[in-house]
Amino acid sequence: MLTGGSSAILNELLLDLARYLDSFEWSTALHESYYMYPWIETTHVLTLMVFLGMLCIIDLRMLSLAFKDTPASVIAERLDKPMMIGFAVMVITGFILYFAIPVRTTQSIWFRIKVVLLIAAGINALLFRNRMRESVHTWDTAARAPKRIRVGAMLSLGFWAGVVVTGRTIAYDWYDCHKELPNFMYWAAGCVDELAALQ
Amino acid sequence: MDLLFLFEWLDTSFLATMSKAYGGVFAVVQMFHLLSMSMLGGMVILSDLRLLGVLMKDVPSEVVVENTNKWFGVALVVLIISGIFMSSAVALKLYYNEMYWAKMITLLIGIVFFYAIRKPLLKHDHSTINPWALRSLAVSSLIIWFTVAASGRWIGFS
Repeated sequence: MLTGGSSAILNELLLDLARYLDSFEWSTALHESYYMYPWIETTHVLTLMVFLGMLCIIDLRMLSLAFKDTPASVIAERLDKPMMIGFAVMVITGFILYFAIPVRTTQSIWFRIKVVLLIAAGINALLFRNRMRESVHTWDTAARAPKRIRVGAMLSLGFWAGVVVTGRTIAYDWYDCHKELPNFMYWAAGCVDELAALQ
Repeated sequence: MDLLFLFEWLDTSFLATMSKAYGGVFAVVQMFHLLSMSMLGGMVILSDLRLLGVLMKDVPSEVVVENTNKWFGVALVVLIISGIFMSSAVALKLYYNEMYWAKMITLLIGIVFFYAIRKPLLKHDHSTINPWALRSLAVSSLIIWFTVAASGRWIGFS
């Protein structure tokens, strides 16, 4: 856990970065555009079908809920490319969306949880890949994957569902800094000015 | 046929009482809608790209279609249930929203296309089906479901 002092510095830095991005004309233009912002947002959401769709199929195979008779490695390898293409599109459109509304997003508790879940999902994916590579030759054609793999698949579905959910809730203003919130929420969302006003 | 009565009924139903009063409940249901959209889209994309010979060429297309159809159905059920709940929160507004009707019409086309045309046809051995028929089936399916999802997102913008 970060101490009060270092988290305050981190929050200041993040807010400074967000305000710097916000000072670009492009950022405001994008946010206020009639069609561009909705199109980028739609691309971000619809690409879920490519990225999460493929991921879902791979994880369902590992949980023996789909493609039981197809070797697990075939599903994982053939769907890797479309999944990563989807991921790349999501990352690019995600950065553009952040660039369009940097300050509010930086101070969104949901966005912060989303980033933490993204990191967790990434670590889980790396571990999963390693476990697959080490052991897949011993169970490739079996309908039921080893427990370690099944746990990894379940964690993967859970983390990514969490990323989608927290991504969606960024749009809700329930815990925006300008609202009256518990002190803990001001701290967690990095509401620098509100915290300063309290002291 | 005027369906306004249906929306007026939905607007005063028990569902609407819940979806209007509790923003949190609405948000949770919307999440299920979004997650099952990812699943439905994934199943459509994989099976259609397989029929087009783009993905998983070394797995028989019959196997791919059979496995994806099952989860397509599961996702569709969750989407419809969560969709009705979400509609109840803004039923009357939706009745006058063009994008909503664009989505409902393409959705209806999609369901009929999937269960009355695509599924029965693909039950046959795929090698006995004209490859161009398979390709046009796949392309139509991709276009229909993309339109459903995109017009669905656009309800919120319009």
